[in-house]
Amino acid sequence: MTDPGEGRQSTLSTGADAEGVDEVRRDSPQQHEGSPEVGSKPREKQRGLWGDAWLDLRRRPLFVIGGLIVLFLLAIAAFPGLFASGDPNAQDLSLAREGPSAEAWFGYDALGRDIYTRVIHGARASIVVGVLATLLTVLIGSLVGLVAGYFGNKTDSFLARFAEIFLGLPFVLGAIVILSVFNAGIEGAPGMLRVMTQVIVTIGVLAWPISMRIMRSAAIAAKQQDYVKAAKALGASHGRIIFKHVLPNCIAPVMVYATIALGQYIGLEATLSYLGLGLQNPVVSWGMMISNSQQYIISTPHMLLFPAGFLVLTVLAFVMLGDAVRDALDPKQR
Amino acid sequence: MRKRRMVAPVAASLSAALLAAGCGGGGGGVTEATGTLEDPITVQWGEPQSELVPTNSNDTFGSQVFNPMFTGLVEYDPNTFEARNAMAESIERADDKKTYTVELKEGWKFHDGEEVTSDNFVRAWNYAAYAPNGQQQANMFKRIQGYDEVHPADPDGDGPKKPPEPSAEKMSGLKVVDDHTFEITLKQPFTVFPEKLGYQTFVPLPESFFEDKEGFAENPIGNGPYEFESRSPSQSLTLTRYEDYKGADAGNADAVKLVVYEKAQTAYQDLKSDNLDVINTIPTSAQADGRWKEELGDRAISKDRMGLTTLSLPLYEEKFQNPDLRKAISLAIDRQQIVETVFNGSATAADGWTAPSMPGRTDGTCGQWCEYDPAKAKEYLEKAGGFDGQMTLSYNADGAHKQWMTAVAGSIRDTLGIDVGTNGVPTFSTFQDKMDNQEMSGPYRYGWVADYPTPRTFLNPLYTTSGSANYTGYSNEEFDNMIGRADRAATVDEANELYGKAEKQLAEDMPSAPLFTQTVKGARSDRLAEGTLNTRTNVAITSLKVAEPTQ
Repeated sequence: MTDPGEGRQSTLSTGADAEGVDEVRRDSPQQHEGSPEVGSKPREKQRGLWGDAWLDLRRRPLFVIGGLIVLFLLAIAAFPGLFASGDPNAQDLSLAREGPSAEAWFGYDALGRDIYTRVIHGARASIVVGVLATLLTVLIGSLVGLVAGYFGNKTDSFLARFAEIFLGLPFVLGAIVILSVFNAGIEGAPGMLRVMTQVIVTIGVLAWPISMRIMRSAAIAAKQQDYVKAAKALGASHGRIIFKHVLPNCIAPVMVYATIALGQYIGLEATLSYLGLGLQNPVVSWGMMISNSQQYIISTPHMLLFPAGFLVLTVLAFVMLGDAVRDALDPKQR
Repeated sequence: MRKRRMVAPVAASLSAALLAAGCGGGGGGVTEATGTLEDPITVQWGEPQSELVPTNSNDTFGSQVFNPMFTGLVEYDPNTFEARNAMAESIERADDKKTYTVELKEGWKFHDGEEVTSDNFVRAWNYAAYAPNGQQQANMFKRIQGYDEVHPADPDGDGPKKPPEPSAEKMSGLKVVDDHTFEITLKQPFTVFPEKLGYQTFVPLPESFFEDKEGFAENPIGNGPYEFESRSPSQSLTLTRYEDYKGADAGNADAVKLVVYEKAQTAYQDLKSDNLDVINTIPTSAQADGRWKEELGDRAISKDRMGLTTLSLPLYEEKFQNPDLRKAISLAIDRQQIVETVFNGSATAADGWTAPSMPGRTDGTCGQWCEYDPAKAKEYLEKAGGFDGQMTLSYNADGAHKQWMTAVAGSIRDTLGIDVGTNGVPTFSTFQDKMDNQEMSGPYRYGWVADYPTPRTFLNPLYTTSGSANYTGYSNEEFDNMIGRADRAATVDEANELYGKAEKQLAEDMPSAPLFTQTVKGARSDRLAEGTLNTRTNVAITSLKVAEPTQ
């Protein structure tokens, strides 16, 4: 478990070292904020925003626990066979809806398939779709939001109205239109990779305006700050101000949104599968397992509880991680 | 106990008194019902799509009204779906096998007092078939001689070209002999034609219909056991018993009110709280785990549906052209287990290509090929040379098919050891398009419901080369010949025997694997002693019988 952690640390610090000269300026917002901590470590080498954040993060139990869970889930997603050797689709109808036992830790579902094996094998599709869709929405949304908030005026009006077009589309309706168009030319069932990409892109296209609105309002507030004005007065370019001064101060609210949205997107993938637009059998995903189990909730709760439990755990881990990262990154929190 | 409004307070005070006296009394107050116009029996219904004219309506909500309001030459038994003479005294076939002489029963009257004569039938049928009248059910008359003259075929289907003007107004195959006798001549012999006559389109229409068609649609007049009383559009329609009805199946309840429900869930709740007397759908949420049967007890109605679900195979795809592979697929499906586990027993595993309760069917035509046999399935897969790549099973995702299709896919996969996936096509119309254009890349689900009570209704449209719903691309000369011979057979029994033989040919070729027949599900309230659904899921109004008061 420690190897990936150290690896990550070293990459981060080399990355910071390589950037060299910029490091001094990175700290400028903090100096403007008058944070006492910066001055309290005079002998340490000057670190960048990320370097600081890393040092800070390592000491937070929230981050360590969240990180460990995420690593564990990623390991499951990457090598499901190590954790459950069975075939997730093997069905034995005579075992249908049997409760947890020594043979099947999580019991069997309505078609007599082992829930434990399915939960393990379903992690990959769910985590990949959830994480990538979140990254995509946050990336598009933050960029557009930053530009809109920072430049204001006509750019802002244009981008904000443009985003509102997407915000006005009901998600399911929009997804049906987009995915039906993509799927139209395909014979039979589209492949797993293709469907996953489609689902991720669809979520990205339809959900980015929310993080855009959050980022935009944060950017509008941030650009009024003295340190931004100072940077402008020093002749810094727009790009530099946006990424070095505005972004770090705006990232917190988007981060919070992203960690919560992650769980939502895993659920959306299930909605799309349910409509016949998302992943299809034989691919397994938590969302599909949850939506399939809803009609058995009274008689066979374990069908719902185990995949839902893993979903909750994943979301919780990312929320903890996101919370910690936000605290570490946000200069205002120091 | 005539007025129901009075019942509740009386019952309440009564039961309060009984409680005070320390006597349970069984809470019988609610079962009081009269079925009179003030307190009609209520039935779940939906707003029909088309006007209330039998020849221009083809939705089930319309049928719900027409079935009790009209009686044709032949009627179907609500329980067995068997055809029996109703208005017809006799239907005799001449030696040329295509001319029928119909004798009508005398003394029957429409609800407005007009006597039902041969003229009412012939005029109504000619009206329905005549193309400019644009009746939705016109094609039901296509077997009658002279149909092509009154209803010329559109040269390009539904395309922009207009069909040629009809050269006649009346079908030459219909001849009135006297007031109670008429002759029907068909283009070609068609043995099961009399069975088809029970369909709602073949009813007589009164003089008043031809005088004022719009008035008729608002206030339809029939000759059946129930007459039209009133209707509030989008809300309800009330029928009352026609006292002078001459037929056998005259009904019991004096008044029946069809109430429009948008949601099955609402109707289900209303039934449970005794605000509604009969429902003919059970919401999916209540079907899970068979919960509805537990909740309703002996009020639940469950019977075989006159339909069949198959796993149809795309014979136009190269991969599925080997009959051994198709047999392997059929052998690999554990129908019995799926019926028990996924449907909680509310379905019947198929043993042939017609509905299990179809009158005149030959049982077990599918034989060994519909039995689950893993060893033989593998043997046939090997004989067929295996299967490469993923086999994708398609279904329409807007129906409740996902669960059982996944089970079927799993059964094939585990038995044959090949990669099997499922593909939910978002809507039925897209699914239908894919079938029409022969774009299915793998096996797909297909459901078919009988139109009339003979095995032919399952075989001819689905599997003959020119069948109207032959989407699999199956074409076998021998099969076509057998159906043709059955159509011209001397007697119905002989025809049925030939249909059975034709089915055995299907077992050799396996263009589709029969899966199961789901049950028709509904329920009735405690106010009714009897009440059932017909095999086409409509409520059989004449079967409703009010319970005897228990107090």
